[in-house]
Amino acid sequence: MLTTVPTPAGASGPFADSGSAPWPHTVLEVDGLTVGWGAAAAERPAVENVSFRLAAETDTALVGPNGAGKSTLVQAVLGILPRQAGTVRVLGAPLSPSGRLPAAVRAQVAYLPQQLTVDGRFPLTVAEAVGLGWEPSGLRLPWAGRRGRGAAVRVALERTGCTDLADRLISELSTGQWKRVLLAFCLVRPRQLLVLDEAQAGLDPQAADQFLRLLFDLRRSEGWAVLQISHDLEMVRRTCDRVLCLNRSLRCQGSPEIALSPAQLERLYGRGYVPYHHHHSRP
Amino acid sequence: MSLPAAEWLELLRFPFMQRALLAGLLSGSLGGLLGSVAVLRQLSFFSDALGHSALLGISLGVLLGVEPTLVLIPFAALFALVVAQLVERSRLPSDALLNIVYSSSLAIAVVVLRLLSARAGSLEQLLFGDILAVSWGDLAQQALLLAAVLLYLLLTRRAQILVSLDPGLAVSQGVAVGSQRLLFVVVLAVVVALSIKAVGVLLISAFVVIPACSARLISSSFGVYVPLASAIGAGCGVTGLLASAAFNLPSGPCVVIVQLVSFLLALLIRSRRLQPG
Repeated sequence: MLTTVPTPAGASGPFADSGSAPWPHTVLEVDGLTVGWGAAAAERPAVENVSFRLAAETDTALVGPNGAGKSTLVQAVLGILPRQAGTVRVLGAPLSPSGRLPAAVRAQVAYLPQQLTVDGRFPLTVAEAVGLGWEPSGLRLPWAGRRGRGAAVRVALERTGCTDLADRLISELSTGQWKRVLLAFCLVRPRQLLVLDEAQAGLDPQAADQFLRLLFDLRRSEGWAVLQISHDLEMVRRTCDRVLCLNRSLRCQGSPEIALSPAQLERLYGRGYVPYHHHHSRP
Repeated sequence: MSLPAAEWLELLRFPFMQRALLAGLLSGSLGGLLGSVAVLRQLSFFSDALGHSALLGISLGVLLGVEPTLVLIPFAALFALVVAQLVERSRLPSDALLNIVYSSSLAIAVVVLRLLSARAGSLEQLLFGDILAVSWGDLAQQALLLAAVLLYLLLTRRAQILVSLDPGLAVSQGVAVGSQRLLFVVVLAVVVALSIKAVGVLLISAFVVIPACSARLISSSFGVYVPLASAIGAGCGVTGLLASAAFNLPSGPCVVIVQLVSFLLALLIRSRRLQPG
């Protein structure tokens, strides 16, 4: 049974923005989404009949055990994986069965994959990589809009503390630096939806805290709606407005207090679940 | 034995040698240009398989009694699409699958050509290329192809980089990853097919891979990497041909040896840069 506890934007959590409007517009609508692949897809899809909404300027966490279908769900929402059934609308525009969105809507979406492994020496500087986030999709000569891109890249690098990395090759960055550069990639143009797949993976506790602080500040200043997969339930409690609990189907959704209650966690992770506590400093 | 300088300079006055030098410049430049993306996309082995399949295309042309070059381009493009799909869907390691494809293509093609007794004498020419035999028409074709590939890479630069970095990230940024991948392998197949005459089946992948790897080792940005790969390819093409004329050695292998020297130089430059102080 699905437990739904709706919460207005910024109504809960220590980062709650009491000044924001109570029900901002919907950025993402997912209805009856079913995703699967391979021969067994029809009998046992990886994600089944999932429905939820994401409002502007809210931070929503997607939690669940390994193999629950979290990455599958976000990849289907972004159009990376095909879906078997259901609909996805981003800023009111339907995602086509082949994963296409109108270019103007697609430009409002940013995605930080869980692990972006650069194989060997990749001859792309940080400034060049961030510049790719600024450019619209479609055919375009490299020198088109050079000045505007340069200025936007400088600002994005400055706001994410990456100015000194501008001329470094991306293959020479540490995991923490790479994550900040990817945030600059998202920040370099106005966006409305940011999707993160375990953004803290590979970061030590201090780097994870710094990253979360930066993400939280940017989310507030940019007005992003954030959907993030996370295994760090303590972080979710502290920073997120809303939680989606997934184990192939959506088991529960609502505020962290309700969705992460011991009873709900036991339903999600199984009997005998013992919550693991991280001890971060508060952002 | 090397030619005396006067004879060597005299040789450069012959139109066939001038055409060969231009062919070296164009095919080297084209290989480096396309190779810069192919290497980032981990398609080095794929270009090798395409080169070997070209021989199968030629044997098919001979079998059908059609001019082989007319069969070669559509065959190479179709072959590239089929193999790309096979690699994606077979769930076998791509290097193993490509090994099966290229070794069997080569074997079938050699047997067919021998059975037909056609081209048997010029098999070595197909395997190692004959850059001295290129015509002005071939050169015009190569120049057009170079311009088309340059424009294609300039216009799709963002998509090429994003697909090489992470296909999921590319889709989220509005790149049609499937179409981009297929289009790239078709372009690669056409370039390989049209370069076979000058470069040969066995050496074509060196033209695609080595200059790009040399440039990758020493480039400080993407803006430097692609032009540098193309320049190294062109430089090696011309230098290799001049060396082949000077020492009276086969042209294709000479170009590849010069490419190898450029790669070793790039390794040396890279290791010097990494040294502290």
